[in-house]
Amino acid sequence: MNSNNSPDDSFPTPMLPRRSLLQALGGGMGVLGAAPYFASQALGGAASNVVHFAPRAKRVIHLFMNGGPFQADLFDPKPLLEKYAGQRPEGANLRTERPTGGLLPSVAKFYQRGQSGLPVSDLLPRLGEHADDICVLRSMHADNPNHGPALMQMNNGTILPTRPSMGSWFLYGLGTENENLPGYVVLCPGRPVRFAELWTSSFLPAAYQGTYVNHADLTPSKLIPYLQGDAKTPAAQRRQLDLMQRLNAMHLQQRGPDNALEARIASLETAFRMQSDASEAFDLSGETEATKEAYGKGHYANGCLLARRLVERGVRFVQVYYGNGQPWDTHSKHNDAVQNLCKDIDQPTAALLADLKQRGMLEDTLVVWGGEFGRTPTTENGDGRDHNHHGFTMWLAGGGVRGGMSYGETDEFGFRAVENKVHVHDLHATILHLLGINHEKLTFHYAGRDYRLTDVHGRVVQEILA
Amino acid sequence: MFESSPRAVTLVCQTGLLVLVNLWFACTGIVCAADQQQTAVQIEHFEKHIRPLLHKRCYSCHSEEASVLQGGLRVDGRSHLAIGGDSGPAVIPGKPDESLLVQSIRYLGDGYDMPPDGKLPDAEIKLLTDWVASGAVFPGNEVAGVAARSSIDWEEGRQFWSFQPLARQQPPHPSEQDRSSGDIDGFVLAKLMEHGLSQSPAADRATLIRRVSFNLTGLPPTPDEIARFVTDDSPRAYENLVDGLLASPQYGERWGRMWLDLARYADTTESWLGSTPNSHLYRDWVVRAFNQDMPYDEFVRRQLATDSIGPEEYEHLPALGFLGLSPTYFKELLLPPEIIKVLVADEWEERVDAVSRTFLGLTVACARCHDHKFDPISNEDYYALAGVFASTRMTDRPMIPADQYAPVEVAKKKIAELSEELKKLNKQKPKPEAEIKAIETEIAEIKSSTPNFDTPLANAVTDESLHVILAGKDPQSGSKLDYRPEPQDLNIAIRGNPNKLGDLVQRRFITVLSPEQPRPLNHGSGRKDLADAILDEAAPLAARVIVNRVWLAHFGRGLVETPSNFGRLGDAPSHPELLEDLTARFVENGWSIKWLHRQILLSHTYRQSSEYNEANYAIDPDNRWLWRMNRKRLAIEPWRDAMLFASGQLDSTIGGPSLAADSDKNFRRTIYTTVHRREVSKMLQLHDFPDPSLHSPQRMDTSTPLQGLFVLNSPFVTSRAQALADRLLRDIPDDTDARVHQAYRWLFGREASGDELQLAGAYLQEVAAECGEDAPASVAANASATAWKQYLHALLGSNELLFVD
Repeated sequence: MNSNNSPDDSFPTPMLPRRSLLQALGGGMGVLGAAPYFASQALGGAASNVVHFAPRAKRVIHLFMNGGPFQADLFDPKPLLEKYAGQRPEGANLRTERPTGGLLPSVAKFYQRGQSGLPVSDLLPRLGEHADDICVLRSMHADNPNHGPALMQMNNGTILPTRPSMGSWFLYGLGTENENLPGYVVLCPGRPVRFAELWTSSFLPAAYQGTYVNHADLTPSKLIPYLQGDAKTPAAQRRQLDLMQRLNAMHLQQRGPDNALEARIASLETAFRMQSDASEAFDLSGETEATKEAYGKGHYANGCLLARRLVERGVRFVQVYYGNGQPWDTHSKHNDAVQNLCKDIDQPTAALLADLKQRGMLEDTLVVWGGEFGRTPTTENGDGRDHNHHGFTMWLAGGGVRGGMSYGETDEFGFRAVENKVHVHDLHATILHLLGINHEKLTFHYAGRDYRLTDVHGRVVQEILA
Repeated sequence: MFESSPRAVTLVCQTGLLVLVNLWFACTGIVCAADQQQTAVQIEHFEKHIRPLLHKRCYSCHSEEASVLQGGLRVDGRSHLAIGGDSGPAVIPGKPDESLLVQSIRYLGDGYDMPPDGKLPDAEIKLLTDWVASGAVFPGNEVAGVAARSSIDWEEGRQFWSFQPLARQQPPHPSEQDRSSGDIDGFVLAKLMEHGLSQSPAADRATLIRRVSFNLTGLPPTPDEIARFVTDDSPRAYENLVDGLLASPQYGERWGRMWLDLARYADTTESWLGSTPNSHLYRDWVVRAFNQDMPYDEFVRRQLATDSIGPEEYEHLPALGFLGLSPTYFKELLLPPEIIKVLVADEWEERVDAVSRTFLGLTVACARCHDHKFDPISNEDYYALAGVFASTRMTDRPMIPADQYAPVEVAKKKIAELSEELKKLNKQKPKPEAEIKAIETEIAEIKSSTPNFDTPLANAVTDESLHVILAGKDPQSGSKLDYRPEPQDLNIAIRGNPNKLGDLVQRRFITVLSPEQPRPLNHGSGRKDLADAILDEAAPLAARVIVNRVWLAHFGRGLVETPSNFGRLGDAPSHPELLEDLTARFVENGWSIKWLHRQILLSHTYRQSSEYNEANYAIDPDNRWLWRMNRKRLAIEPWRDAMLFASGQLDSTIGGPSLAADSDKNFRRTIYTTVHRREVSKMLQLHDFPDPSLHSPQRMDTSTPLQGLFVLNSPFVTSRAQALADRLLRDIPDDTDARVHQAYRWLFGREASGDELQLAGAYLQEVAAECGEDAPASVAANASATAWKQYLHALLGSNELLFVD
């Protein structure tokens, strides 16, 4: 197809960045002779370099507690749960979509941590050491109490499976910093609910979709589709690719300048390099014992460490799903489950923050932590907690946010966000802002309208910016 | 009051146009009456307490100062408050409990709590409540600039080019048209001359047969076909070639796939639907319709309403799959109706969007929340159309008459009961073998003795309306989906929110496409009326849209570059007279798609070479004026098919259930590779296959490294290289040049050049030597086979296979 085609409505066709063709073709120039065509049509940089103001963050790590953690276990102390344990106090509006029982106290004790004195629960002792870097959003709220729609909203801004994910928007807006790696990587030791819809590029070009990596098996060659093939040696494959590129160069030379032909030639070269670069990026054996020990063991720890390796190498957006399915979805025996879950995330999350800080990366890496919603302060099944999108907690760190603070409040039982409420749209607007993008201006024209990640909503939460 | 649009509704007010506030003139009288009662004390109180409060808490979204006015409401003027926003008057003086402003600041938790970022302090709530209670005194004059709601000028709207009646155009006959052979060329040549461009010569025959074969069948020509065409002296050689390809059954597979992109076809739909094992019936119906050259008007009518045109023709029932395989959204029925209603309304929007963009090239769904910002499509138009889909239910239907199916239904019910019983028996210990056996026999007997027992069910629709109601009496009892036989008209949902209803709108066709009163869509669901309206009053538009799609598929870009948006924000046609004339003749010729192909393919414009021309390139690098043929990149389907074709493995069976993408036994054409709506296979996903949840007007082309990895390492490409090597070494004598030539014929439809032979020879020798060619004979043979495999892998990955000149 002509390289200037646009899909539905007119928009500048996004092109992937690429290196110079001369470099890409390496030794294949003998057959080519003069190469006047290559200089002619540079394909430009990122899709739509839309940085509107100085970015505070260059990359984002999203630690996704799929299933939905309970706010008052972690960063939003609610002593009244104890006082009214087992009751539904008169006048309290605790109505959810499904019937629940009385208030269930949290097992957590809260302490003021760091110089800021930010209250952090004793379930997260190591993370508490980073209290001064953490900005807690206590007043998050969303629109739908089911996992699927809520996951969609947190990722794609809408409960419908027909919109691009936020990572696709980031890539569309900013491009990638390392073309030898996918720009948007989703790590999950298994499958979150809704799976690939959560990182779809939808109507944005397919190049902006997330690359899903099941890191339950850490063999690098198994992590990225088709990263390794049959047993050819790298040298043999290089020779084969050289032949392919020579033929491509001859083909191009006979046809004159053609962006699409040149872009494909370049992408094959990038693919070749990706085999080694991605293998290296995903290979944890390159880490020191001390580092590995700091992060600890387990899928989530590995995910955090991989995330650091990837953003260090220029990946724009990494999501780490805590686990397969919806592990934070504690409909029964909540108080037992949450202790194990917190134990599992405490050390790796703390290690990630420390590691980023020590490498000087925390200032321009935004870390986002949270689930798709929170849980009810009241009981379900006697000892569980049900979904709650009316009020929940997320936190941000690094990348231009103020640490050591909390923003917004839920009601006295931690059920509903009541003060300085932050909707998911507002979170997206704020993340885009930190990346240097005006969320109202990052648009894509499709089906007769200009679409945005934040739809017609979204407020940048200025109060938390450093 | 202060309400923002519901979160689920998606529309960006592109240029920040403010929604004009509904002016209800009658209401100004009330305001004026109130005026006289304003006292100095009240005014002072207002200026001191109320106006600053409104300014502080509300103006950022609800005043002249708002960058985007929310909910169509302003609170910075007396008449604004009286008229209110999309939900109606904001303030009823003296009646705080009935005033939306007061209700919303009370934070009742109904989704309209204002301000959105948190409840006001009690003192402020009291101030505003008391102010309304005491008459809502608001000094100042009436504010100008408040205009009536629907400001669409229908007559002006109808003047837009794509809504005009069709008319034949006089083809220009520029003096130099020696190369032109038809009307299309006259129009194109005139534009070329106007821009100082010249036509390119015709492509050589080998190039031409490869191009036209891929365009019509999605497959390369066989070496024999190429040889025959290249040496055919008949003046009708090319015409015969085109006719032969149009008659081949592979034609329908290639063009059917084009249609399936528009129809958002999926083999495997959402997991919360009942299983859809027969979705392929729709796909196969589409393929057959193209092969039989079903007139396009009939093709449209059957997909919308084949069940209500004339006597039942059951072989056409799967046509309803266009609607019957629509995407659905998950509905947790434990949730209250307010939430489920939004999901249902979103589904109706999806149908309006898919139908209006596919058949009319119009983005009617943009008018769900308010009048379309750019096209003359009103909010009422949207609900008039959405009512049709609100009266249509997705369901499986047998492809035989109801009376013949009735016994099957009875049999299936009986078998379901017996199976339940069987399950119970199987759990017993010890197993009652005799009883089990008896029931199994009974089931088998029922199956074999019931005629038509295995008759397939097609994914179709029936006329039933969907109502979301409370499941029980308790507000927390969840929702129930209540299907009723009678159709329904919809109320306007204010700002697209089905929980805030406005006026009832009767089902009818789109105003701007109706010369007189819009046609009512009220027979049953109105699907057939809708099809009739599309093919009658909207026929010119419907025909322009499909003609442009066919043009696009041949040239890689449309005459209109926005194939599913023929509205104001769409692209104007590059060759308006050409599109007009071709479309008029298309309709005259019975809406025949094959007729249209012949017109296009026999033109010199289509047959031009794609070669570079410096002078033309300097003027028109984009080739907007068609001075050459566009070089086209193959989509994943023909590219994969071409590899299977070259390796001699292509299974050309037509139709039937799909096969998994990653199966190493899948040698069928790619149209038969399973499309999973929620999890498109890696291979398809990497290669720009469109999201099957969405109408896709046109494939995008991206070149990504992940595609490069597929070329370098995928089992699919590696296995084709192996099979191609086996085929070559088996079928062609031991002569390197002969084998290379043959590989080039199978892959590229030509023989290798001297340079290419030399490269091949050197490469094969080098690899073989490394692998041990000088070793004993058996090892050497293996080394040679390995070298061939690697060599052919390089050819498979080359640009020449992927691009068509």
